Formats: sequence, C-alpha cells, structure tokens
Amino acid sequence: GLKDLKNRIDSVKNTQKITEAMKLVAAAKVRRAQEAVVNGRPFSETLVEVLYSINEQLQTDDIESPLTKLRPVKKVALVVCTGDRGLCGGFNNAILKKAEARIAELKELGLEYTVVSVGRKGNSYFNRRPYIPVDRFLEGGSLPTAKEAQTIADDVFSLFVSEEVDKVELLYTKFVSLVKSNPIIHTLLPLSPKGEICDINGNCVDAAEDELFRLTTKEGKLTVERDVIRSKTVDFSPILQFEQDPVQILDALLPLYLNSQILRPLQESLASELAARMSAMSSAFDNASELKTDLTRVYNRATQAKITGEILEIVAGDIECIIW
Amino acid sequence: MTFNLCVLTPNRIVWDSEVKEIILSTNSGQIGVLQNHAPIATALDIGILRIRLKDRWLTMALMGGFARIGNNEITILVTDAESASDINPQEAQQTLQIAEANLNKAEGKRETIEANLSLRRAKTRVEAIVETIKRIS
Repeated sequence: GLKDLKNRIDSVKNTQKITEAMKLVAAAKVRRAQEAVVNGRPFSETLVEVLYSINEQLQTDDIESPLTKLRPVKKVALVVCTGDRGLCGGFNNAILKKAEARIAELKELGLEYTVVSVGRKGNSYFNRRPYIPVDRFLEGGSLPTAKEAQTIADDVFSLFVSEEVDKVELLYTKFVSLVKSNPIIHTLLPLSPKGEICDINGNCVDAAEDELFRLTTKEGKLTVERDVIRSKTVDFSPILQFEQDPVQILDALLPLYLNSQILRPLQESLASELAARMSAMSSAFDNASELKTDLTRVYNRATQAKITGEILEIVAGDIECIIW
Repeated sequence: MTFNLCVLTPNRIVWDSEVKEIILSTNSGQIGVLQNHAPIATALDIGILRIRLKDRWLTMALMGGFARIGNNEITILVTDAESASDINPQEAQQTLQIAEANLNKAEGKRETIEANLSLRRAKTRVEAIVETIKRIS
C-alpha cells in the first residue's frame, strides 16, 4: 500500500544520506593520506639521494649485506595488504584473488610459502582458510605510519635473515588514479645492491619517484610544496667520508630503505581503498537517487489515483443526492 | 656558532633548526659534532642523540639509521625518533621488562633476532629518559 511505499522511500533516502556521508569521509581521508605522503617525502628523497651517492662510490666494491643476499629460493613469504573495512567495491577481493593466484603459482613451482596478512579483511579471509599457512596477522591501522611499516619490516627482516624464507613479496594495490588501481606484486627482499626493485617478471620498477609524483600532483598547492623541498636538498656536498666501513653504512641504510619500501605501498593501498570506497559510495548514492525518483513517481501516481477515486466517489454520491 | 640539524623519519620532520652541538651514537661509538665538521657519512646505532641549544641539552631516542654531515648541515635519517619528553617513563620501563623477558624465552634464530631488536629499542628509550633526568638534577 501507500504506507509501505512511503516507508521504502524514507529508507532509500536514509541510505542515500549515509552513502553520501561515507563518500565525503573517504574523500577527506584521501586528502589526509596525501598529506602523509607529502610529509614522508623529505625522508624518501634524502634517502634515495644518499643511497644513490653511496652507490656511486661503492660501485666497484663487491657488497655483501644480509639483505641483499641472493639465495636459491625454497620458501617465499607473501605480505598481503588489505583494508580494514568493507564497502569499498572489489578492493579487498581483487587483492585477495591476486594472492590466491600467486599462491597457486608458487605451488605449481613446487615452492613453499607463508603469508603475512596485513589488514582486518585479509586476516578474517585467511582465518577462514586454515590450509593456508599464515606466519602472522597484523592490523593495518587507519593511517599507516612508520610504526606499522616497522612492524612489518621487522617481521620480514627476521624471516629473511634467519633464512626461514628466501624471498619476500609484497602484494598491494597500486594507486593509479581515483578511479583506477591495480593489485600488484612487488619483491621486497632480497634487495638488489643497486637499490632497484624488480617485479615478478624481472622488470625493474623505479624505486623512488613515479608513485609519489602521481599522488602529490593531484592538487596544485602540493606541487609547490614539493618544489621547495627539492631545492633544499640539492646543495649538499657530494664529497663524503665514510665513518665506518661502507658495508656497515649500507647495513644501516638498507633497513631504512626497506621501511620506506613498505610504508609507501601501505599508503598507496590505503589511498586505493579510499578511492574504491569513494567510487562505490558515489555509485550507491546515484542508484539511491534513481530509486528514490522511481519510487516517488509510483507513490505520486498511487496518491493521484487514490484522490481521483475519492473525488469520483464524492461526485457520484453528490449526483445520487441530486437525483433523489 | 650554530649549524642546521635535520632529523627525518618516514612520517615527518622531527627536527629542523639551528643547534650548537650534537652527540650522536654511531655504530663505532659516540661522536660529538660542532660547527664546520668535516663532511662524513655514518651509520647510526639504535641509541640516543643529544642536542645542545644555547645552554640547554635535549635528548632524543633514535631507532637506528644514518647521518650525513657536511657544509654545516646535518641530515639524520632514522626509522623512528622520540623526544625524551614525549616518552612515558613507566611505559618505557614496562616495555623494557617485557623485552628482557622475551629475549630470555626466545627460541631459535629468528625469535632471538626479533627479541634483541626490541630490547635494544626499549633500552634506548629508558636511557633517553635517564639522561634527561640527570640533566635536570
């Protein structure tokens, strides 16, 4: 009846409000995520610069650091970054599917594997699948900071250095744009001594620049900030003396590099999640408006019919009175 | 008589201003740095950093990293840095005890590596507080 329709319209209206609010919240959080990336920029920039200059000076030496050691791979650790919440379209599913595909691939190659799950959604997913060996469950946190990255870094560091695993891969969602993101696999360890990171196909992914660039240039004012930082770091004397053995310095730098290599994917993963939520909520909002229009039309038609019916009755009654 | 000190963590800039003197815990022992220091690059241990501003000493706990000194400009890259005044003494003590207990019951190479790392971090945080208290009294 009419009352049911009215109720339905009201509930759709509520849904619309909620989805709109969630969209706005996600949008605000995207901005915060971008800020976090910008704040981390001086660090990663200086780090890359230092690594680069040290690399130049070390090029001739043969470097052996525990993190760069290449061993024949027997066991692989997969770090899977998921979100903490749902309602973000296919975001969590996409990355978990990617993880499953990778696991199947490793099985085919006859390699052992273990999973380090980051994020609540992934945790519950792997909890439901006890046949997948999980080394550790970690919480993602609402905004990834160096602390979260450090927890993961410590974990993979000890896994790798104790030779429990011979390769560490990070599965995360790469942020391409607000409407597009890709689940990708990224090899964390062993680090190749040149500071380059190779993906699964052996293609080199440039370590430092492009991803940050995409995130920061979204808003005009962020670009300005970036330029300021850039000009500040340039005027450093390139002639440096090493206080310790170059290998020791590299030993100190590589964990930092590892940390930033984990932090950035975490940030990107969060950005992708928020972007996915934004678009999911935005289409939910659109659907709700459409539904509301349709329902209102039906409701109006029904009211109209009812009124017409009442008028007809009254008129008919009137006529009968007159006739009598 | 001052030079610029910049302490960076992946999250934020912890410190970026002029100081008079600093004492760094490097992998090969503590070094003091004054103005016009020769350009060097050094690995930093998990340890404390002491900063002198005019006549006041400040202490920070650094969680390992790297420092580059040159041109009266010092850049320190660390995974995490905490100012001694931001550390809760009770909590730091507790963490230290937990870390010690963990190391005692650690089994296998991997657990020992992890326990050692967290113990050293906990120790440094306590050390930073102790250092500050010493300065005040």
